[in-house]
Amino acid sequence: MTDKLSLSELQLIIKDSIYLAMPDMYWVMAEISEIRENYAGHCYLELIEKHPDDKNVRARVKAIIWSNRYRFLKSLFENVTGEQLRSGMKVLVKIKVDYHEIYGLSLIISDIDPSYTAGEMALKRQLIIKRLEEEGVLMMNKELGFPFVPQRIAVISSASAAGYLDFTRHLKENSFGYVFYTALFEAIMQGTETEQSIINALERISVNAALFDVVAIIRGGGSQSDLSWFDNYKIAYYVTQFPLPVITGIGHEKDLSVTDLVAFRSLKTPTAVADFLIGSVSEAENYLNELSTKIAENTRTIITRYRDITESFRTKLIPVARLALSDRREQLSNRIIEIINIGKEYIIRAGFLPKNLSSRLISATGSFIFANKTCTERNRLDLISFTMSTLENVKSRLSGLENTLNILDPVNVLKRGFTLTSRDGVIIKSAGEIHEEDTIDTQFSDGQIKSKVILPQMNQEPQLQVKHTNNY
Amino acid sequence: MAKKEFSFSDAMVEIDKILKEIENGNLNIDKLSGEVKQASELIRQCQKKLRTTEEEVNNIFKDLI
Repeated sequence: MTDKLSLSELQLIIKDSIYLAMPDMYWVMAEISEIRENYAGHCYLELIEKHPDDKNVRARVKAIIWSNRYRFLKSLFENVTGEQLRSGMKVLVKIKVDYHEIYGLSLIISDIDPSYTAGEMALKRQLIIKRLEEEGVLMMNKELGFPFVPQRIAVISSASAAGYLDFTRHLKENSFGYVFYTALFEAIMQGTETEQSIINALERISVNAALFDVVAIIRGGGSQSDLSWFDNYKIAYYVTQFPLPVITGIGHEKDLSVTDLVAFRSLKTPTAVADFLIGSVSEAENYLNELSTKIAENTRTIITRYRDITESFRTKLIPVARLALSDRREQLSNRIIEIINIGKEYIIRAGFLPKNLSSRLISATGSFIFANKTCTERNRLDLISFTMSTLENVKSRLSGLENTLNILDPVNVLKRGFTLTSRDGVIIKSAGEIHEEDTIDTQFSDGQIKSKVILPQMNQEPQLQVKHTNNY
Repeated sequence: MAKKEFSFSDAMVEIDKILKEIENGNLNIDKLSGEVKQASELIRQCQKKLRTTEEEVNNIFKDLI
């Protein structure tokens, strides 16, 4: 303990010792707990190892990727994993232990194995999926009924994201002219705050779930997208429990995140989500049109069927009606003949023609027709015209009868020169009833005379004698 | 919202029901015209819902955010 060392001498001894003890490169598994890039492009990290059970940090060390390596490793890593290097990520790095007299111990990273990280991420994802499966919730959002017309959309995105603007414009400019209503629930779509931010948005939507048809979680695409933020148990669990179907369009070409996996439907881009919604509405409209066409077709069929039935009834009915009509006609003409006969008798009996006979006939016939109103209109018209012509017939026959009647009227007979002989008011019809010295009355059309019989004489034919005694 | 909201899916169910009745031939000819009229009114309302903006919805959404 006689020699005294300066601090720098000590540091150099440590540096040499480490160099001698660990001259090689080593592949080391670690978790990134901090990462930052400085102005010169060098990348400074803090690597840790957590205890697998209690998650306590059991090792911690500084690490550096010099800018010339970092540029190359960064793009390789992102190409393979689709992710950026970030805290919380497990990495397999090739290091050389370095000791600096001022900065102390650090690991100089010369290589990163991206497939290790990809595998770790896949494993982590598998664990989340397994957990959701065990809880029996994995498929719950997919099992929801999808609305007929998803027109009212709750959007979770960041307002400034290009993806969000694409989405709303695409919906608005749809070629069908459908109306969509969107309400944006802003959230942080990347980084450590993603989880809480998206859960907050989902909670705000669920309060007003009745106002919406679907939820769309969208984010602009591009190579910068970091899918692993959505490989998140909490977000995925919320989605499975959400009362509305959740559609994702979080912009990843290669893989699906756990959130995509549990969503009702996952699509690659926000525009694809918009297309899906437009397509759903269009499907609903097509279905509606189909129903409408079917209703029209079926209605037409029913109407045609009824028309055919009616037509067949009509065809069957016509001969029956004709038959019935001819029966009626016969009855009617019988009745008319009866009426004529009654009329004739009446005229002959009464010796005069009631002025209203013909009108009574008409009204009687009319009521007869009325009683037979079950005939079709056409039949009724037939009957009426038939009746009218029959009535015309009756009228002319009646007027013939009237002429005959006029000829037979005693007044007219007297006018033609015949006389009526009576004795004591009793009409004498035979010369044999008159005796010599009888006083008889002779009635002329315009007066009467009284005369005394000088010589009564009987003829063989009384009619001739009557003729003879008249001064015709 | 005091007025009962028109539901597209309820309308579709109703239209479908009417179609089934017509298809099955259970419908009396006297009822046919009424049912067809009702179906076409529902279809008209559905079409309207797809393409006519309801300002009411827009306003509610504005208030939410």
